[in-house]
Amino acid sequence: MSINRKKVIENLSKIDIGGNQEGLIPAFGVFVNQLPAVLWNSFAERLTRQVGLDLTEAAEFLLVNAAHECGYHTGYGIITSEEWNAVIAPMVEQVPEDILHGAFAVLTAWGWAKCEIAELVPGERMVVRAYDYYEADIVSYGAASKPAAYMLQGISAAFMDLAYGGPYDVTGQKGMRTFRTVQTKGIECGHEYGEFVVTKS
Amino acid sequence: MTHVLHCHHYLTLYTQLAEDCAFLDGKKLLREVSEDAFFHILSDYYRKQGIATIADRVLIGEQYYAFSGLGQLKVACAGAGGGEVELLTSHLDAGWIRKFGKRDQAVNYVTCGYVTALFAAVFGLKPRSFSANEVASIVAGAERSRFEVVAN
Repeated sequence: MSINRKKVIENLSKIDIGGNQEGLIPAFGVFVNQLPAVLWNSFAERLTRQVGLDLTEAAEFLLVNAAHECGYHTGYGIITSEEWNAVIAPMVEQVPEDILHGAFAVLTAWGWAKCEIAELVPGERMVVRAYDYYEADIVSYGAASKPAAYMLQGISAAFMDLAYGGPYDVTGQKGMRTFRTVQTKGIECGHEYGEFVVTKS
Repeated sequence: MTHVLHCHHYLTLYTQLAEDCAFLDGKKLLREVSEDAFFHILSDYYRKQGIATIADRVLIGEQYYAFSGLGQLKVACAGAGGGEVELLTSHLDAGWIRKFGKRDQAVNYVTCGYVTALFAAVFGLKPRSFSANEVASIVAGAERSRFEVVAN
């Protein structure tokens, strides 16, 4: 890997994502928002705990799906952005593996999660470890019986879609959901880190 | 309080999820989650910074909404019994139109929650003191979205 994670995180953390006169933040080909993490966490937590055990899996699938689409489209916007070209593209030697490593450095720089790729079998499988992520904030005491990092699950699969799922498709009909993620560990469950195993769908 | 960057795809899909949720009242859930999150932020800020006047509190509420990238919100009038709020631009409506196109029904449950949080915080009341109804909507073709607020 030729990506200097420390440098990427340092440089991208300095970029100010600011709104325009209309209160909107157009960037990376999407409209960006910066909302309190508690809003996202509370919706997911209340939804999955109120639907009943027989429907929990369906609710969780929908939450992961939202992140998957977000990760696919915003991820593409990031890896084709001016900021990417300025900071990360010069470090890229091996495509698409270095791009994947760079994308996870961006995740860290933006405060979604302190995470990195622990294992990568090109085109087949990826293991991501996250040592701090906002979705773990749902637990302040004790350990949850179920993992709850739906955003990281969706984002991880989406990044593999972008790397190995074929050309980007703005409609999302081709190329997206060629990979899926299983969260095998979670800080919210009492583990030292969150672990996400991404394989072909 | 941690704030995180996300995109319009994420918020529109959460909103769609809330609408399609047959398991429970997802729209109410999204409104209440939004109200709870923003009420605490606004109330804490007013208290810690000593923001006491209604005009200053409203102005800060409008500025924070824009800082969040949610759009340009203007409180037309506010009283302890209710008021009126307009959106000149809207992140969610613009994102929804880009992703799904226009539609007849309003979609901005997050802003309904923001508005009721703002009114409660401005008047030093508790969450659920107000209800907001989106009576005109950019996603439905209106030039501006409009919310009517009433005390419960």
